This record gives sequence, structure tokens and C-alpha cells, in this order.
Amino acid sequence: MDEQILIEKLKQGDEAAFKQIVETWQNMVFNTAIGILQNAEDAEDVAQEVFVQVYESVKAFKSESKFSTWLYRITVSKALDHLRRKKRKKRFAYIQSLFGNDNQTIIEKPDFHHPGVVLDNKERAALLFKGIGQLPENQKIAFTLHKLEGLSYQEISEVMKTSVSSVESLMHRAKNNLRKWLTTYLQNNE
Amino acid sequence: MKNKKHMEQEVDKTLNSLEGLQRAAPTPFLFTRVKASLENDEKSRWTLALAFISRPSVAFATILITLFVNAIIFFEFRSESAQASGEGEQLFANEYNLANNNIYDSTIEPE
Repeated sequence: MDEQILIEKLKQGDEAAFKQIVETWQNMVFNTAIGILQNAEDAEDVAQEVFVQVYESVKAFKSESKFSTWLYRITVSKALDHLRRKKRKKRFAYIQSLFGNDNQTIIEKPDFHHPGVVLDNKERAALLFKGIGQLPENQKIAFTLHKLEGLSYQEISEVMKTSVSSVESLMHRAKNNLRKWLTTYLQNNE
Repeated sequence: MKNKKHMEQEVDKTLNSLEGLQRAAPTPFLFTRVKASLENDEKSRWTLALAFISRPSVAFATILITLFVNAIIFFEFRSESAQASGEGEQLFANEYNLANNNIYDSTIEPE
């Protein structure tokens, strides 16, 4: 069914249209979320939140941008919120442990293995994801959308509501930061 | 020198390790989960509304506001009805010439 018709039907509360929208875009939303969160369960939770928001606020979607761009925006924003919440919890647990209330043990994050990575690159990709996790938010978003979702700089600029030159700059800085981080990491773990 | 070159190669390989990556897919039944979440949201909205209404402070404030509005309406109605009944009495007195209760006001017709 045509994207526009599906959206119009969803605006009228058509459940079949909503089901089709979820099934069509679930991999895109999940893949973006897993790239940012580096955790499959968290990514599922975020994907669920994204589609709940789509259902609740589709009437506000004016078709000025592409539906996929709107979906990417919601996904990125939800994933970042989730990440911030998680960091806050981690900080709180750390402070509690300082005061002796260490009921919750702080578990070191295991290496993340993206399910879609080619087997030969598994270890290297896990290391790269570790590096991506150290990047500032904007660089992380730009890099993830480009490398995991294959979006062009133009498309990323629409998702991030910024200029193409800003995206170019973000990607350049992200690559430089990753190169520095990887060099240091490899030197220390030789 | 060789080591540095090797390191650079390794960094480049790592940076390119996401080439050929396939999209990750969620577990099946995401739609069922989303639907359940939407239904729970609906229920939790009602639960929240009920919890808010049944708060002692909210309930007490509602009772006070109701009493206050009732009092205003009661006193407004009372003053209006008092005024209205006063006017009626005056009309009645005028109609039957009962208003002259002063002896000096009454005229005595000479014989």
C-alpha cells in the first residue's frame, strides 16, 4: 500500500494500517536504536516506545518531511533519552556504592556484537562499537546513521535538522576521535 | 616503523569493519507488544486520573469549592427573594391603601 495512504488510514485509527507500518519500519527503527544503545533488549523497548508515539502523534505529522525521516527523528530522540536515563541510574548506583549502600553491584558492560556484522569482522566491529560509545552524542548519531543505516549526509542533515556541512564536520570529527581512541586502545592492549 | 604501519592498518580495518553490515531485526511480535503497551497506557491514564481524584487534598479541595459555590448561590438567591417579596408587599399595600399608618396623614372630611 502507498505510504501516504497508510499514514492517512493511521490518522483515522485504522489498526491494519498501523500493523503494516510497524512491520514495514520495525527493522529500520530497531537497527538505529541498537546502534545507539548497543543493547538488543533496550533497543526493543525503544522500538516499542517509538511506535507507541507514532500511533499517538501521527495526526501531528504534516508530510513536510519524509515519513522515514520523522521516524528516524523519534527513534534517535527516544534512544538518547534511554541512554541518558541509563547513565543517570549508573551514576546514582555509583554514588550509593560510595556511601556503602552497594546492594546493586555495578556490572561492567560486556562487548556488544551487532547481529548483522560479517563473521570475519566480529571482533573488530565489537571494538569499533566500544569506540562509538565514547563519542559525543551528535557525532555518535551521525556516524551510526551513516554506517549502520547507510544514510547520505543530506538525509542525516534532515534527520538532525542541521546543514550538510555540519554533518560533514561531525563525521570528520567522529572519524578522527575514533582513530585516536582505537590507536590508544590497540597500543595499550598489544 | 613497521609496527606503526601495522597499527594504522589495524585501525583502518577496524574503522571499516561495519562494511557489508546487515540490518538487525527485532524479535517477532513487536506489533503485539506495541498494541499491549497502547492498551496499558489507556488503562494507566484512567488509573492515574482516579488516583489523582482520590487524593485527600484534591477531595477536600473539591468539597470546599462545592460548599463555597453552594453558599454563594444560596445567599444570592436569598437576597433576591427577600427583595422580590418586599416589592410585592409594597404593591399590595399601595393597592389596598394600607400604607398610611400615620394618623396625621389621614384626612378627616368635614361634615
